[in-house]
Amino acid sequence: MLDRINSSIQVRLPAALDAPFIQQLTYSPQHIRMNKTILASLLALPLFVPTAQAQDTNVKISGFGTAALTWSDDDRAQFGRPNQASGTADSIRTGVDSNLGLQADYAVNSWLSLTAQGLVRQDAEEHYGAELSWAFAKFRMSDALNVRVGRIGLPIFMISDYRNVGYVNTMLRPPAEVYSQVPFNSVDGADITWRHELGNTSLTSQLAIGAIKTPVAGGFHVRGKDIVALNLVAENGPFTLRAGHARTNVTVDDLASLNTLVGSLRAAGTGYRLPQLNTLAGEIEARDARGTFSSIGLSADWNNFVLQTEFAKRKTATYINDTTSWYVMGGYRIGKFLPYYTRSELKIDGAINNTVPTACPAGYPAACTPTLLQLGNAVRRIPVSGVGQGEQTTDTIGVRWDLYRSMALKLQIDRIKPTGSGLFMNPQPGFAGPVTVGAVALDFVF
Amino acid sequence: MNKIILAACAATGFLSLPALAEVVVVVNPKAAESALGKEQVAQFFLGKSTAMTPIDQPDGSPLRAEFYKKVADKDAAQTKALWSKLVFTGKATMPREVADSAAVKAAVAANPKAIGYIDKSAVDASVKVVYTAQ
Repeated sequence: MLDRINSSIQVRLPAALDAPFIQQLTYSPQHIRMNKTILASLLALPLFVPTAQAQDTNVKISGFGTAALTWSDDDRAQFGRPNQASGTADSIRTGVDSNLGLQADYAVNSWLSLTAQGLVRQDAEEHYGAELSWAFAKFRMSDALNVRVGRIGLPIFMISDYRNVGYVNTMLRPPAEVYSQVPFNSVDGADITWRHELGNTSLTSQLAIGAIKTPVAGGFHVRGKDIVALNLVAENGPFTLRAGHARTNVTVDDLASLNTLVGSLRAAGTGYRLPQLNTLAGEIEARDARGTFSSIGLSADWNNFVLQTEFAKRKTATYINDTTSWYVMGGYRIGKFLPYYTRSELKIDGAINNTVPTACPAGYPAACTPTLLQLGNAVRRIPVSGVGQGEQTTDTIGVRWDLYRSMALKLQIDRIKPTGSGLFMNPQPGFAGPVTVGAVALDFVF
Repeated sequence: MNKIILAACAATGFLSLPALAEVVVVVNPKAAESALGKEQVAQFFLGKSTAMTPIDQPDGSPLRAEFYKKVADKDAAQTKALWSKLVFTGKATMPREVADSAAVKAAVAANPKAIGYIDKSAVDASVKVVYTAQ
């Protein structure tokens, strides 16, 4: 679909040239020199045309970014955003909260527009990397109905598709307790959005379908297949209420430790004739396993009171925990300053039940019991290992200052209490928390 | 005679107080709309409706600040944040920004679906007033 649209744009470009003028040039006595001119103009076209159209507002380039410093007071575990490969541990880092995004919007005509957004940040890998946040064609069927095709934001949170745009948000970063719970930011597919007015309330219903493969910190991938996400939003004056439900079939690829564990459980189950180990292997394995995510959220910007809250439930038919997560943020605007407080919590509702026996029946080979102990230990660690696993609560205070046009400065302090290692990375022996994390960030849009 | 003097005085008094300039919302004279409510105007300038094409005054201009304060009860930073949200989620593009009231009139006069806001003193026959910001 996108290919076809793109080629139709390219067809338009030569048409913009005056055809008789080209012929004239080609047949003029100085045609060799002129042909060079044409070549030069054609080469310049891709650069020149967007500039010319930018003035006509057909193509718009815009961007956003955050320059931030983040530090923590504990060197026994690293703090980072969900799905970062490493973070800060008793040191000052720029990579946790800094990013830069660029977006191009091209209005082809009154009913078709193309949008692409690239984002540079530290995600899944140790370094800054570029990713294509979205690239879609939007078809405006009517004032009330839109269809988008391509890579689109996955609408599962209150701030799903602008969570990386610091300037738009009150908080310095989305609460990890909730935003770590789904590894997918976007979906390759399509969505349909229907908007209609009910008295003073504006209702938006959005249905997205598709699939996505996302790199995850640790060098593996999570694939979501048959994703269906329903997102309902009601807006009335300063109040926005949303509810959403998403389901997918999850596959975890290339995660060596998981594959080894599942393989070992099966080998032991078959070898020692302990069928419960095979059953357990099936429950842990993440191959087309059903996962659902349901969430509700409310935001308000009423007089000078600012409120944002979300509550979410995750359920999966694999090793990934079933969880409840929520946060409540309240703030009060005083001129250009907006101080806020947030409480966030991530709780495990259900995890893989360790059904590995602690010992083998009498008469089994001597190696059996040590093998089972090893397997049991590995299974017991599952609920607290990996991206978005674990439990923790966070108290956050911060302030946003709109210091200049299109620029905001934020200062935020988080006090994080993990259960075990919570969402922290690379915990060292003796790590227990709580940890204090501080950050200062300059958000901008252009 | 007295009436004329009175009218002249009133007019002079009005013109000598530019600080109390009124912001009016204008559309193309050919547009079907003859009057709009505050909520309707706000819809177009907050990206909630695409039925009309909003034309903005320059970022940082007092007229723009006054317009958004009166129509949407939002200051410049809040408006910017709201529009940035729409832009970076691919829902809308920033309204076209032109240099001054004369340029707004020109843009509105050229497009039957355009909607802009200008100083009341700049109103002429090229545009139609559909709302006066209170």
